[in-house]
Amino acid sequence: MTSFTRTRHTARAQRRDKLATYGFYTLGGLILLLIFWLLISIMSKGLPSLSLDFLIKQPEEMDVGGGIGPVLFNSFYILFISLIISVPIGLGAGIYMAEYAPDNKFTGGLRICVEALSSVPSIVFGMLGLAIFAEYFGIGLTILGGGVSLALLNLPMLARVTEEAVRAVPGDIREAGYALGMTKYHVIRTVVLPVALRSIVTGICLVAGRAFGESAVIILTAGLSTSGEMWDFNLFSPGETLAVHLWYVQSEAIVEDARQIADRSAAVLVIVVLLINLAFRFPLWLNNRRQGR
Amino acid sequence: MGAPVHNLESRLKQSSVKVSANAKRHGRHLLSNSIFRYYFLFSILALCFVLGMVILFIGKTAMLMFGQVSLADFFFSFNWSPEEDAFGAAAFIVNTLSLTALTMVIAVPVSVGMAVLIAEIAPNWLKTFIRPVLDLLVGIPSIVYGYLGLTVLLPFLRDVSGQGLGDGILAAALVLSLMVLPTICRISDDAIVAVPRKYRDAAYALGSTRLQVIMRVVLPAAGRGIISAVILGMTRAVGETMAVVMVIGNTAQLAKTLFTPSSVLTSNIVMQISNVEFDSTWNYALHMMAFLLLVISFVLILIIRILGRKRRDAA
Amino acid sequence: MKVFKKFTVTALTAVLAVTTAFAGIASAASNLSGKITVNGSTALLPLTLQAAKEFQKLHPKVKIAASGKGSVTGPQAVKKGIADIGACDWDASIDVPGFKAFDGQVANKVAVIPFATIVNKNVGVDNLTTDQLKGIFSGKITNWKEVGGSDADIVVITRAFGSGTRVNYQAKALAGGDIVKKEKNYKETGSSGDMKTAVATTPNAIGYIDLVYVSGDVKAVKFNGVEATTDNVINGSYKIWAYGYFMTKGQPTGATKEFIDYVQSKKFQQGSLKKLKFIPIASMK
Repeated sequence: MTSFTRTRHTARAQRRDKLATYGFYTLGGLILLLIFWLLISIMSKGLPSLSLDFLIKQPEEMDVGGGIGPVLFNSFYILFISLIISVPIGLGAGIYMAEYAPDNKFTGGLRICVEALSSVPSIVFGMLGLAIFAEYFGIGLTILGGGVSLALLNLPMLARVTEEAVRAVPGDIREAGYALGMTKYHVIRTVVLPVALRSIVTGICLVAGRAFGESAVIILTAGLSTSGEMWDFNLFSPGETLAVHLWYVQSEAIVEDARQIADRSAAVLVIVVLLINLAFRFPLWLNNRRQGR
Repeated sequence: MGAPVHNLESRLKQSSVKVSANAKRHGRHLLSNSIFRYYFLFSILALCFVLGMVILFIGKTAMLMFGQVSLADFFFSFNWSPEEDAFGAAAFIVNTLSLTALTMVIAVPVSVGMAVLIAEIAPNWLKTFIRPVLDLLVGIPSIVYGYLGLTVLLPFLRDVSGQGLGDGILAAALVLSLMVLPTICRISDDAIVAVPRKYRDAAYALGSTRLQVIMRVVLPAAGRGIISAVILGMTRAVGETMAVVMVIGNTAQLAKTLFTPSSVLTSNIVMQISNVEFDSTWNYALHMMAFLLLVISFVLILIIRILGRKRRDAA
Repeated sequence: MKVFKKFTVTALTAVLAVTTAFAGIASAASNLSGKITVNGSTALLPLTLQAAKEFQKLHPKVKIAASGKGSVTGPQAVKKGIADIGACDWDASIDVPGFKAFDGQVANKVAVIPFATIVNKNVGVDNLTTDQLKGIFSGKITNWKEVGGSDADIVVITRAFGSGTRVNYQAKALAGGDIVKKEKNYKETGSSGDMKTAVATTPNAIGYIDLVYVSGDVKAVKFNGVEATTDNVINGSYKIWAYGYFMTKGQPTGATKEFIDYVQSKKFQQGSLKKLKFIPIASMK
């Protein structure tokens, strides 16, 4: 740098650059402080009293010391069902929008509709699920209904994130593939998706985290009770999830330790979301590592 | 970004060696090509089906309202007293718009700034640390945000403002900003990372400072992704309920000040929909509000998209 | 569409049959079987869940699914046929202010629910009369000094219209008087928990809640000089209470009948129900 003559212009630009860097760091620092305060205030109340016992015991209505066993299990089960349904369809729809759909007004309109769909309050999806499963099919409050309704809720977001990820892949690598005579699907699978994978995984993480913490949909479609068994894989059992249980103990439960149960449940929720994130990201990280990134 | 290309090269090498010998394989590729074409088509149709179902589900009930409430009343009257047959939703519509605007004014600069920090400025160890932390925020259930808003934010706002209650759109906007931060930040972050490196190198080679590269090259190039991040964040803010109802006050009146207890479309729907009879005008009006919410976010998204396109054209 | 529906229903029932067959092997202590769906009032939910738990121990083949979103959801779900029992904080088979009667439904009393007026702990007032409460909730009285407290604005916290707690409180404590929204210092909450937290954390706040939830962080005030206790409800001096009902379509039958009978049985009423701090229906004579 010293060999150049610094004009007033570059000097000013550099000063600004420095200032902006400090600015960004300050902003980041403040946000991180806020986040940590948030996490600590959730964790500090729940974590110290957390025990394995709490994680596997049945919830109690009148005696102190209830656990969250079946509720936690239902959370995973419903999340699993909803992802099994929403991820393939969401990815497929996103890829279609990015790669196949003609770029016209209709596609643009569809895109905005899909986006607007995520501003429909989740309780409306819950009522939709209630209308489909409880009224139309008459199967009542079930894990299946909860999982499917949750999938409907997450589908739009997933499709949009995938589309953006696929679109962000630079055109030239794609064209290199076509130039070699690869079929469109082959290019998507071997060229586009690996590059877009990282953003797609971000999308799935966001969606999974949201699904795990969602309560309004589940209250209406899967109910506020469990079957009372720990490992109940029956799709037609009522399926209260952890987030719903948290809502319940915070809103209506009578047991004396409701506050503590709520605190602990919140801590468990945060930890589980962290684990889900790790589970999705770890293979990605490993892959990057292996390829010497 | 090097990895996939490397991958591609190795695959291409393999395929070029075997290409003449393997017509069968080519056939298989053609087959999978068309199968997956149909699969993708099926997916988008499924998505459209869901979209149509939601619109139909809300719309069907919403339309029933028209026989009983005049449109002018619904859109322009500020009097929402369903128990006295007054269904004016104007206050909710205005509040929804102002709450969304306020949230975006707070959340967008902060989130995009944070995304720039993660993607462009921070050293690697910091990146790998911040990203999962942000993802964690998404997983905190909204009622926990609401509870913290109720027990920490509201007393704080009360002290600062001297108000008796503290509920209102400011409290709601602050809670919402925090909730949409990870959505906007992480998706923008990915969009920024996806900007090809050569753009940056070219700009640096011309002697640009980092700030100039960020402002004039990276952000415009990532513009499309950032805009969709903002849109996703906004729709989440518009549709969020469980946390909002705890701090907004839920009173059907226009939010004249930041601390007037008020209500937005979503919070009103959530507070009342489980307390009304199915076949009552009240219920129809609430469905109409849900439908309106769809329309409002449609329009907002359209505006953001047009603004975004204009800016990009100008740049 | 019809064919499609038929097909799906058959498929679903087939799956259901297989899964229940597996579950059925577990135990055969009782022959009673069936599925009961309970929906409605969240205030009665702890009671329903506890009863369901005990009932399922006695009759392992009966499956009970419970949920709650608001009192009126109960009878509505029963009307639509998506629930067998609708929990409701008022008798939905007759007209109440704001809600019409649900024809053909039978109200089964299951518990007595007392309510209390609560205030933030910084409020110096210990007793409020019906007229004072009416004044406060209708917005005519806006300062605590008008009812004998210190000079501070009253913050009114209430439940959303249609909440069972609100319906009963308005009828019993306010003698049918209005709850009027105000420009400021007025807030509606969505659940008992929110109500309690809001009153506990907002200085000068007043609200109302099921007596069960009253604990150290809020203060229950006397109503017309009578303290809100279960004893005072039973001896008739404390007036703010109501029955909780299980609504059914016609007279209950089968597993549903057995379940309601169990909830009304002396064993449950004097045992768990009392422990949950509801009042047995037999105590009110």
